[in-house]
Formats: sequence, C-alpha cells, structure tokens
Amino acid sequence: MKNISRREFLGVSLKTGAATMFAGMFAPTATSMMGLGGIVHASTKKISPFTFAVLTDAHLYDIPNHKFDAILEKGVADVNSIKPRPDFVLYAGDLGQSGKEAELIKGKKILDKLKVPYKIIPGEHDYYLDMGKAWRGLFGDEHWSFDHNGSHIIGMNSILVEDFWSMASLTPKERMGRMEELECHRCGLWGVGEKQLDWLEKDVKKLSPDTPIIIMTHSPLWDYYPRWNFQTLDAPEIRMILRKFEKVMAIHGHVHQVVYNSVGNINSAGLLSTSWPWPYPPVELPYPDIRMNRVDPGDFEDGLGSHKIDVASSFDGEIDYRAFSDLLPENVKRGVKL
Amino acid sequence: MNIYRKFQTLKFSVLTVFVASTLLVMGNVYAKKPFSAAEKEDQMNMLMAAVKKGDDLWHNPGLGTNGLACGNCHPDGSASNPHTWPKYQTNLGKVGTLREMINWCIAVPMLGKPLALDSEDMISMEAYVMYTHRGVAIAPAKDEQHGAVPVVSGPGYPNADAGNR
Repeated sequence: MKNISRREFLGVSLKTGAATMFAGMFAPTATSMMGLGGIVHASTKKISPFTFAVLTDAHLYDIPNHKFDAILEKGVADVNSIKPRPDFVLYAGDLGQSGKEAELIKGKKILDKLKVPYKIIPGEHDYYLDMGKAWRGLFGDEHWSFDHNGSHIIGMNSILVEDFWSMASLTPKERMGRMEELECHRCGLWGVGEKQLDWLEKDVKKLSPDTPIIIMTHSPLWDYYPRWNFQTLDAPEIRMILRKFEKVMAIHGHVHQVVYNSVGNINSAGLLSTSWPWPYPPVELPYPDIRMNRVDPGDFEDGLGSHKIDVASSFDGEIDYRAFSDLLPENVKRGVKL
Repeated sequence: MNIYRKFQTLKFSVLTVFVASTLLVMGNVYAKKPFSAAEKEDQMNMLMAAVKKGDDLWHNPGLGTNGLACGNCHPDGSASNPHTWPKYQTNLGKVGTLREMINWCIAVPMLGKPLALDSEDMISMEAYVMYTHRGVAIAPAKDEQHGAVPVVSGPGYPNADAGNR
C-alpha cells in the first residue's frame, strides 16, 4: 500500500474541516497588524544575545569586472565593518546568475573575504544548469542546521521544482534559461520537497518548544505572489513542523526588497539583494508600512544593501536594513522587529 | 412667399433627403461600419504577435552587453509605469517618452546599443509593456511605481505560441 505523503495528509485534513483552524492560525491577527512588525513573541528561554549579518542575491555573471562583483564586494566590506563584529553571516541564495561554476567560484572568493564564518543555501540561479552539482562541490549540503548561543538555526533549499525539462527535451542551458526568468510560467511552483521535510521533522524533534528558531530559505514561507515564485509550495508543512516552538524568525532572499509578514508563530523578513531591486508585485502587502521607497535606476546601488540582525536574550530580534543608497522610509530605518 | 420660392425650398428639401438617404445606404462615407468579429480577431492576433515579440525582447540579454535584460528589473514590465509617460524624467533630463526610457535602460544599465525609436522591435516592446498594464488609468507624471496586471498562470496574454521560452 502506498504511503500517504505529508502533502496528501495535510491536503486531506484541510479538506475535512481543519481549514478554518489553519486560516485562524496563520492569518495575521488584529494585534499583529499594530505597530511596525508582528507580534513580539518573547521566548521564555533566555539566550546569550548575539548579532549576525545577512547577504543575498548577488547574481554574479561570468563576465570579468561585472558591476555586480563590486556590489557584492561592497556588501562583504560593509558586513566586515559592523562593530562589534557579527558572530556569523548567512547567505540566502542566488550567488550566481546562470548556474555556472565560474560564477559560483567568483562569488565564493568574494564571500571568503568575510571575517566571520558564513553559511549559505542555494537559489534557483545557482542550481538549474547542473542541478546543484557545482554549488554542492563548493559549499556542501543544501540544508543544514546549527546551534548558536541557545538558539537553533536552519537553512533549507526551497527552490526545487518538478521536472519540466525532460518532456520538453530541454538542454541544461535551456532549463537554466527558463529558471532565470522570474515570470517563467513553464517552471512551476517550487518548494523544499518531502526529503527535506522529513529531515526538518527529525532535526527539530528533540528541541524543546522554548528553543528560539531561526530559519533561512531562498523564498518566503508564505504565499506572496506565486507568479514570481514569491512562495514556497510546502510552507504550510514547514509551519506545521515548526508550530510547537514559541517563536520562529524567518528570513528569505529572492524578493530583492523590504517586505515583512507575521504568520502564526513566525515573523518573516525579505532581504535586499546586491544586484538589482524588484518592484512590489500587484498584491496588497500584509504590512504596507514595512516597505522600501521606489528606486532611481540611474543609481546602480539604489535598492541594494546588506543586513544586520540583533537577537536579544528574550529572542526579540531586530533587522537593520543597511541600504547602500537613500532607500528606506524613516520607520524602516529605525529597524524592523523580528 | 411667392410660388417660385416655395418650389425652390421644396426642391432643396427633396435633394437633401435624397443625398442623406444615399449616404446612409452607402454607409461608409461619413462613418465606418463596425469591424466584423473576424476583422477584430485578425487585428488582435497581430497585436498579440507584437506583444509576444516584445515579451521575448524584454527578456533577451542580447539587447545589452552585460548579461542583463529589461526583465531582470521589470518582471511583467512592472515599474516601467507606461501610464505616466510622456513626463519629465531625471535620467533623460527632459520630458521624454516611454520609448526613450527603454533606450536609456538599454544604453545605461544594460550597456547596449539603443534601438531606432520607430523600429519594429521598439514598438513590440512598447506593445508588451502597454498590454501588461492594460486598464491602468492614464496619469501623466504620476509619481508611483505601478505593478502590471496580476497574472495567475500562463504568459499573461493570449497567444498560441506564448510560453515556449
């Protein structure tokens, strides 16, 4: 007999009346809509406060002295200038543009200039030329976790799509070319897949509910704008697995913009790229005050930046968007609660 | 009124009615007949072919020399704000058109060669951007970043060949 998959199980439960419960659980509540940021879920466990930095979406091309090389260099130098020095750096995917090993090698050389250790996950631009072979050769596992000062930090590959290329007899380069396009409507929605869900379930099984969790994926763990894959197909399953925790901080790349959401016990922030900014998709933002201004196309650093995240002993977090140009409204400049 | 003038007036009225009826019967002198469904379909197909060509060009890094395409920053034509042009644009330093701005993007961020403003390629790209913003109210110089019409699935416009990319 075929084992029922988690997705099928969740699908069935949703259809058999659990839908109301889910909607209540994951929709922003009235309280969460007040103020800048969602509910402040203070953790009952006290941790040693720490700071980490985040960079993402460099989209490096295999072209010498490309303008994006210098912007990633700037991001690395900016992170290195943070005092006191962050404990580590997270990188949220799309280091390269077309999945070429040369792009990833160039990116790794720049990231290796970071003065603290970094952990990285793949984005679709790193992946679909050779299905992640070069990326894994350079950076290792596509999903991982580690403990830091009492918190548990998770990275996962959220850009796995169903095979759309075999039937269409696409070459690896053609496959990559389609994935490179944000509006690719032949590529389908992506997610982390069953294997990683199983891994995540095991990874957090022994952790007590008061353990502060930080999770990084390339794409948001909420439905933002599926047309541009501003979503993760199995985000409901991930949220289900992480439901037992008092508080989860989520950060994601891919959207190249300031965006925020609070879903159940998860506060989630989108990140600035070091390549180009993306406009907001044609949907209402869940937190319309947490956004960036429009960008001057004549200023190649506008819309880009790095990030510093401070984590307090109560696991209250604050993300500081370190925009390279004058991009942020005053309220966002002051920091966004995570 | 003498009989002669009455006759003249009558003659004029009869002539007027005759001419007017003739024009109405001919039907195509002062006003055209509405296009037939088949004609409209042909015209729409021609527009959609231009939109598809524009979509392909919009996502073609070949217009530049540094790997970037228009679509890198403007997915679905977003943030090109076609409803606000012509307007004073700081990057152009004058009141310019959407086509001139497309050329500016090709030349500056993409390091490519600008297109002739009346070329088929340029008109196709304009058709693509206008179509992805259909229905948005014209708002000259409005200082806003407008999204394209939301797309749930498919290429975002009707075209049998669309989506092979």
